[in-house]
Formats: sequence, structure tokens, C-alpha cells
Amino acid sequence: MSLVVKIDAAWPGFRLRIDFAAEHGMTGVFGRSGAGKTSLLDVVAGVRKASRAFVKLNGDVLADTAGGIFVPVRRRRIGYVPQNLSLFPHLSVRRNLLYGSSDGDGGEPFSLAHVTELLEIAPLIEREITHLSGGELQRVALARALLSRPRLLLLDEPLASLDADLKARIIPFLRRIRDEFGIPTLYVSHDPMEMVALCQDVLVIELGEGRQLHAPGEIFEQRVETVYRFRASVGQCD
Amino acid sequence: MIRPEEWQVLRLTVVLAALSNLSILAPGLALAWVLARGDWPAKSLVETIVTLPLAMPPVATGLILLKLLGRRGVIGKYLHESLHFDIAFTWRAVVIAMAVMSFPLLVRTCRTAFAQVDPRLEQIARTLGASDPRVFFTITLPLARRGVVAGSLLAFARALGEFGATIMVAGNIPGRTSTLPLAIYHLVQLGQDAQAYRMMLISILITFAAVWLGERLVPRGKEGGP
Amino acid sequence: MKRCGVSLIFMCLFAVPLTNAAELTVFAAASLMDALKEIGARWEQAGGESVVFNFASSSTLEQQISAGAPADLFLSADEAKMDQLAKQDLILPGTRESILSNTLVIVVRKESRLSLTKAADIANVAALALAEPQTVPAGIYAREYLEKIGAWNAVKSKVIPTENVRAALAAVEAGNADAGIVYKTDAAISKELKIAWEVPASEGPKISYAAAILRATGQPELARKFLAWLTSPEAKQSFHKYGFLPPAPHD
Repeated sequence: MSLVVKIDAAWPGFRLRIDFAAEHGMTGVFGRSGAGKTSLLDVVAGVRKASRAFVKLNGDVLADTAGGIFVPVRRRRIGYVPQNLSLFPHLSVRRNLLYGSSDGDGGEPFSLAHVTELLEIAPLIEREITHLSGGELQRVALARALLSRPRLLLLDEPLASLDADLKARIIPFLRRIRDEFGIPTLYVSHDPMEMVALCQDVLVIELGEGRQLHAPGEIFEQRVETVYRFRASVGQCD
Repeated sequence: MIRPEEWQVLRLTVVLAALSNLSILAPGLALAWVLARGDWPAKSLVETIVTLPLAMPPVATGLILLKLLGRRGVIGKYLHESLHFDIAFTWRAVVIAMAVMSFPLLVRTCRTAFAQVDPRLEQIARTLGASDPRVFFTITLPLARRGVVAGSLLAFARALGEFGATIMVAGNIPGRTSTLPLAIYHLVQLGQDAQAYRMMLISILITFAAVWLGERLVPRGKEGGP
Repeated sequence: MKRCGVSLIFMCLFAVPLTNAAELTVFAAASLMDALKEIGARWEQAGGESVVFNFASSSTLEQQISAGAPADLFLSADEAKMDQLAKQDLILPGTRESILSNTLVIVVRKESRLSLTKAADIANVAALALAEPQTVPAGIYAREYLEKIGAWNAVKSKVIPTENVRAALAAVEAGNADAGIVYKTDAAISKELKIAWEVPASEGPKISYAAAILRATGQPELARKFLAWLTSPEAKQSFHKYGFLPPAPHD
């Protein structure tokens, strides 16, 4: 894939300056809370408008403030799994899953049967959203985004609210998605371990500035202290 | 128990209030959503205009309507002369007066209800390809259902009790424009207190019924997220 | 399911027509209420079509008719309102006649100790109820009389104007006014008031009730029949019973 993102914008109390081009499948977006990671995803998705932005995906310009171009959200074909999942509370699991797809049969690998099997949520389809566990909700949100046959996936801290055990169980699913679907993905997280486990390269954002793509391992080298703090909080020993 | 002339007044009032509600529902919901979510240059001007009937004396609003829709009014004159069609002092004027006076209540209540729906949900729906109408009907409206029903009921009750604007633009003509509040007022003016009290009781009963019905139509605890 | 029930109710409400077709609409001054209800009931008993009355002050009714309110007949408590309609060509020519007259009285509550040795003493009350003295016939008549006897300026600030003469009556009955000026026919139907002063016909204003068929009527023949009924000997008897006087001769 080729994703080009250039943003130079300010909102009350906050500024975002982004400039990167990603080629590989799963690109990490790494930084502390409040660094601007979610805002970046919002601008790419079109959900938030920036005073100056340029977003190009696979040759299609989605946003270009200089040229007066702004493709509406619903036409960008971007699958977004936000931090709070934003599952529709008044709809069943099935209706949530099929919201973005017209018939649930988008052809392999986007069929309802395949995606629910892959994420092991087939037995949950007829349930209500309110009756699911955290891990189940996470997988339903992922499935919903996938079933809409997106050209780009935006995952915002998909594992943040899960315990270590559940995290370990879902990472394989994410790998499966990465490998089977091959959809370009921006993966936001503040956990370097997830970066290493899943991403080919990582955009590091600090105080709203993100310009460089690093190899995942580099985060450890350049930010040893920070990493030690992170690893300590996650409770892992090396 | 209820006399024929009382039944006629009651029926007229309820039917016209229902018509009024039906006519303002679509524009009211649309405007409420646009005010809740949108941000455009003339927004505060529109907000002010919509709120006017709520703040102005009802008779003043009624007078404006009369000036527009009466036989000598800008619109009324054309309708009367070209189409032999009257609005003032007919049931149509009652519906218009009810609609104008209850519209702000509907819009404000629904706007609050829509604003309380997590905008994130609407945004996600859009990323999944939904057009604005689809987002409104499948996400916003169902989640705001309770507030929308409350707003409609409020508008309905307001229409049932509408007096000042109605008496100006529709007068009080038995069988045609004599609604419950107008009838009560008229009976008191004629010194017929006993009948006025009967009508007053009927008024209380239907308002009670309307509110009760509303509570039943929307079961508690069915909206909101996990 | 519940939605079905609600819509069924609505459909029933809509299905039944809101007004009847062959029915006479009579706009009449408030002071005629009791007498007309009785006369109208007799009319229907005698086989006449149903009659619907709209009682209000003659000024309100005149406004409504001017604005196009649907009515077949208009009975006004003064000629002025009928003149206004005639000017706008809203009356069916040749159908206008003066049908009744009345007497002005000053009423007080039965237990009131107000005594009037002359009408001008009325200036001593704290609150005097009148039908709106600028527009409503009963109020206009009262004001004209008070002006004639030179008491109007003293009384003006104590006036409680009401929407029609019956409301003035009710105000005195309720104790919201110490006295009121109404028609003798209104005082007659009240059980709680007594007449403190009756304005003699020679001193009082000329009260004349006018009746006419309106041009916009959809049933002129039926209206003629009813108007004839109103001026029949039997109806005259009913009016007399309530205290109305025959129409004053024209100058």
C-alpha cells in the first residue's frame, strides 16, 4: 500500500504536525497518551477536519486542503476501530457486524462466515451487544470494520483495556487479519511490545510531532528509559 | 357522561393537535438534528427564529399569523381570490397556530436528545459507509427515541392547550375552531361556569392520557450503551 | 402493536365528519343566549333542522364575519355592527330588520347596601363592570348613557371592561366588581343580583337589536325560515318572557 499523510494543524490547546509515507502492511503509531495518535487517525478517516492536511491512499487523494479536496467519510472506505469500540448499543451483534456491508457476503475473505470464524465470534452473532465480555466486544468491533471491506484499517489501542492474558489471546487474531486480509493498517498503541509483535514499521509521535518511521526494534534502542518504564508497568521481565 | 357538544370540542381539539404534530414532526426532527450536529454561519439566527414563538406573547404571534393568512393578508388574499381558499377562521388556522407554537418545544427537546447521542457512534457509522439520512434513521433516532417521544408529547400537549395565537387567527367558532381552551374561556366569558368546569376536567383528563400513553410507548432503560 | 392501536384511534377520529352539512349557524349577541336557546329548541322540536349558535359580543362576531367566518344569520345587539357589515356588502340585501329592544340597568349583589338616589351616584363604587365600552354594544350603550348624565369622567377609572355583557354580569356575581351595567334581560336570569337602578327609556340610549341573513350563507331558504321563526308571535312571546322589548320605531 502507499499511504501518504501530511498534517499541519492546530486545535485549542493542541497541535499536530505529521509527515510520513508508509509502504508496508501494518504500520504502528507509537506515543504517549495525549501525543496526538487518535487525532491522526481521525484526520485520516475524515472524521476530524484539519486546517492543513494531505492524505493520499493508494494513489487516491482523500484530502487536500490546498486543492480544496475533501472526500466525505462515507466514501473513504476506511475501517475504524476506535478506542471505545463504538459498537451500536441498540443493535444486535449481527446488525452491528453487517452495518457496513450490504449483504454480509462480500466475497471471500470478507464473508460473514469467514470473518466470524476467523475471530471466533460465530456463536455470538444473535446476541445483544450488552451481553458480551470485553474481549468479545473487541473482536466484534474488528469484525465489523473488516466486513465493510475497507481499503485501510485504523486500529486505536485495540488491546488497551484488556488484561495480559486476553491480549496474548487476541494478538494472534490481529496477525491473522494482517496476513489473511493484507489490508494496510495503522495500529495505534503506547505499548512497544505490541509494535514489535505486529508492525513492520512505526511512526513515533511526540507532542503532536511525528515525522519519522522507525523499525520497531529501534524504539527500544532510542528510548531505553521510557521502555523500561513501560515494561515495568506491563509487568514483564526481560 | 360527556355531552355531544363537549365530545365535539374534544374531538376537534385532539384531531387538530394530532394533525399539527404530524405536520411539524419531519421538519422539526430535521432541524433539531442539524442544530445538534451542524456548525454553519446562520446557525444562531435560525436558533433565535425558532425560539421566538416560545418567547413572544402568543397573541402577538397570532396577530402576525392573522396579518399573513387573513383575507386581507399577504398570503391569505392571494389564496382567497385566486383559489377561493380560506385559512383564517378555519380549522387550518387552528392547525397552523398549534404548529407554530409547539414547533420550538419539539425542536429544542429533540435537539437535546440528539446531542446526547454519542457523536462517535454516528462517525463510525459513516466510516462504515452510511449516508447522513441512514445515520439519522438507524443510529441517531433510535438512540434518541425517548427524547423524541417526549418532545412530541410536549408539542402535542402544547397544541392541545394553545389559546392566544389560536383565538387571534382562528377565532372561536363552534364546530370549526372551538378548541378546548377556547371553549373554556368562552364559557367563562358567558358566565357558564358549571360547563366551563366540566370542560376543564375533560382538559385535565386528556392531558393525563397523553402523558400516560407516552410513558407506556417508551419503556425505560432501553436506550444507552453498555 | 401499540402503534397499530394508536393509529386506529386516529383513523376513527378522522373518519367521523367534524361538522354537519344541513345545519344552520347563527351568530348572536351574548345577551340573547338564554332566549335563543329556548327558541332554537322549539324550532328543532317543531321539525326544524339543527341550529348551532355562536354567542359572543356583537363586536367579536362582526370581526369574525368580516374575516370570513361561516355563518348564516347574524343577530347583533346594535345597529352599528350591522351597518359595518352592510358597508362591506356582507349582508343579503332585503333581509335586514330590527327585531328587539332592551333596557339598561345597574345591578349589584343582593346583599349589597349600595343605594342610588340618582344614576350619577354610580361614581361612588370602587369597581364597575361594563362590557368593553369602546366596542361592545352593551358597553357602548352604558358609556353613552353615563356621558349623557355627566358621570362618565368620574366613573372611567373604575371601569372593569369585559369581553361581553354576560362576563360583566359574572364579574358582579363573583364579587369582582361592586356593580355592573347590563341589560335588564341579563339581570333577570341572575339569581344573585338585584337591580339598583333602571334606566328609563326616555333617558337611556336607543337600544336596537338588528338581524340579517349573511351573503355568504349556504342555505338562504333555511335562513329565511329561521328568521321568520324568530319574528313569529310565538318567538316574540319567548323574548317578552325574558324581558326583551319590541323594537323601537325607526326615526
